[in-house]
Amino acid sequence: MAENSKNTKLLSYVLLLAGIAGLGIALVLDFTGSQASYRGALLVIGAVVFLMGLYFFPTVEHHRSIINFIFLFPLLFSFAVTVLIPLGLGIIYSFTDWNGIRLTGFVGFSNYTTMFKDPSFIWSVLLTFLFVIFNMVLINVIGFMLALLCTSKMRGVNFFRAAYFLPNLIGGIVLGYIWQFVFNNVLIQITSKWGMLNSVLSNTKTAFAAIVVVYIWQYAGYIMLIYVTGLTTVPKDVLEASQIDGANALTTLFKIKIPMIASTITICTFLTLTSAFKQFDVNMALTNGTGSVADFMGSYLTNGTQMLALNIYNTAITKNSYALGQAKAVLFFIILACVSIIQVRISNSKEVEL
Amino acid sequence: MKRKVIAAFLAATMVLGLAACGSSGGDSDSNSGSGGGSSSGSDGKTIRLVNGKIEIDATLKKLADMYKEKTGITVEIESMGGGVDIQGTIKGYYQAGNMPDIFVNALGPEFENWSGMLEDMSGEKWASDTDNAYVDEEEGVIGYPYTVEGIGLAYNKDIVDKAGIDPASLTDTKKLEEAFKTIDSKKDELGITAVVGYCAEPTNLYWSTGQHLFANYLDAGLDRDDTTYIDMLNDGGKFDDERLEDFAEYVGVLNEYSDPALLVSGTYDQQILNFASGKYAFVTQGSWIGATMTTDDKDAYDAAGNFEVGMIPYAFQDGIDTILTNSPSWWSVYSDGNAEEAKKFLQWMSEDEAQKVLVEEAGFISPFKSCTYVAADPFAQAMVDYIADEKTSSWHWLDMKEGYAMNYTGQVFADYASGALDKDGFVKTIKQVSEACYAN
Repeated sequence: MAENSKNTKLLSYVLLLAGIAGLGIALVLDFTGSQASYRGALLVIGAVVFLMGLYFFPTVEHHRSIINFIFLFPLLFSFAVTVLIPLGLGIIYSFTDWNGIRLTGFVGFSNYTTMFKDPSFIWSVLLTFLFVIFNMVLINVIGFMLALLCTSKMRGVNFFRAAYFLPNLIGGIVLGYIWQFVFNNVLIQITSKWGMLNSVLSNTKTAFAAIVVVYIWQYAGYIMLIYVTGLTTVPKDVLEASQIDGANALTTLFKIKIPMIASTITICTFLTLTSAFKQFDVNMALTNGTGSVADFMGSYLTNGTQMLALNIYNTAITKNSYALGQAKAVLFFIILACVSIIQVRISNSKEVEL
Repeated sequence: MKRKVIAAFLAATMVLGLAACGSSGGDSDSNSGSGGGSSSGSDGKTIRLVNGKIEIDATLKKLADMYKEKTGITVEIESMGGGVDIQGTIKGYYQAGNMPDIFVNALGPEFENWSGMLEDMSGEKWASDTDNAYVDEEEGVIGYPYTVEGIGLAYNKDIVDKAGIDPASLTDTKKLEEAFKTIDSKKDELGITAVVGYCAEPTNLYWSTGQHLFANYLDAGLDRDDTTYIDMLNDGGKFDDERLEDFAEYVGVLNEYSDPALLVSGTYDQQILNFASGKYAFVTQGSWIGATMTTDDKDAYDAAGNFEVGMIPYAFQDGIDTILTNSPSWWSVYSDGNAEEAKKFLQWMSEDEAQKVLVEEAGFISPFKSCTYVAADPFAQAMVDYIADEKTSSWHWLDMKEGYAMNYTGQVFADYASGALDKDGFVKTIKQVSEACYAN
């Protein structure tokens, strides 16, 4: 028995060392720019050998956690590669003068100060908040009403469900161009009879309203579907009991249905909130951020309908300031993280009360 | 026992999964190489070209076949266009170490981005055969011109003749306005809907106003190497007040006589289709619309009698007698790639055999002096005449700050067109947004 455990110990150490050596050599080869084609294989073999060594490591106490680690490793590894490392790199880039090709030096917080001194960026931030408030309220109200409609005993309910959901299946870019055509070529035929010669997209305020409308049109059907699912889970016996007690439709709605689907409301509010914050494609295709604001913080703005995500994209891509765009993206991440955390906290505590 | 089998099976799956992830990563690693670009060119038999004009994809592929037959070198053509952000994609290739050997650059700042990585081609034979190469003071000839386009006020010869107007006589804003007035009063007789098709829609057509029309403020009437106004602009967004005011007045005339249905919310397609159908006497687009008129809008153009077209300078000041011509973008050779073969290919492209195909099939106007072919394009003759008379200016809007037209001035032109700004407001606002743009 002792012989056996000694063997295992030896095996474990040999494997661990071999694994580390393999990994190390592969990484060194990679960073020194070697063209050797075996270095990828060496990296993988090194990693596998290392994990095997870990598995055979002679310990009773930590055996369980080692096994846990080995099984979690693939997931953690891909999470790190796709989420954590890019996030860290992004934050680092926001302190440099990176232009997408090369990096000549660190500039400290200057990207952040530039960003907050730029009236057009402040405008984008405020506009995004306005857009989020409008959409969160309107999409949920409209979605919920559509859901009530689609759970009533009406003929052709399935048709309506499908019809309301359909816009969600069309991509935002395509949707934006379709509606651009509608606003610029179709609606103008009607409004020109009333003396409005210019398309609604040519005025900042109406263009913003147009984006809100298109976004509701796209998203309300999706939210409706979630509410429909929620409403169908309301137990029939409760509804029946209330009917016997003489509750009318309105009382049933406010005292039974809405409290029963509080968790659905949480999910939907959360979904609309974050998705409205990240609004990009409809914004880009419909107006591409154009629109003028005559006087905002003392300057004439030309990005009247440009929301935060589009502002970041334009800063990085069309204005070729990748580092400044990255700084804005970091702020975007912070705002989004804060909002999400607050939102979840509030709705969780509410759920407990109910 | 059973549990052990399952555990072993799961463990094996995991290891396999890891190996699969790892090995695919390894593959792409070994492909990319460290310096980049060497992947496709390591054997010296393949060069890769990223083309930014998707409409000539077929022609380029044909040329690549011809070249392969002749020399045995494969040229891979990768065409992008139609709203693809080409520089963004190439930056992605750079990050992935997958650089093409020849790629397209348009803007001055784009060349600057790649500074030090592009091959100087001053020694090539073609470089002395053209006025349109992209020349950087420090790095030499780093852009190969593949075509020439022209910016001027295009007109429908049939209509102006019928209205009794000689386009060559429209040498200042006043004369233009009078001519527009005359045509406007004869609209029904001439069968047109508006005098001029000018579109200042800011979302999709910002380039037409903010870049091409604005280019006339920067360059019209100047010598090809005169950079006075672009230098002022690039120096913190400064303007020559008198020139800008005269330019604003000219744009005001365009605003007044343009088709109201097109002016603020029209589309490019609408603009070209209406011009091709003979509904406008003038249109504010350059020579490239000839290709659209003879392909997409062929039926309308045929129905309107395949009228002759011409081009006049945007004469917003006395003495402006040049149209703007230049290559709309250039091909650059990536130094770390297969530069030698790439340069040989570009030299071949500038020679007779390839130029014939480019001019006759893609409708290009050759940037090379030795080329004798003239395209069948409606605007080709007008362009060739201006070039022969040396009545051309270069264009420098490509050297403006990136995003300047799209994010700033395009909207100001639209506000001027919709009446939200008057002439003075336009001048003031252009200055203000330019300062804001250059401040960042």
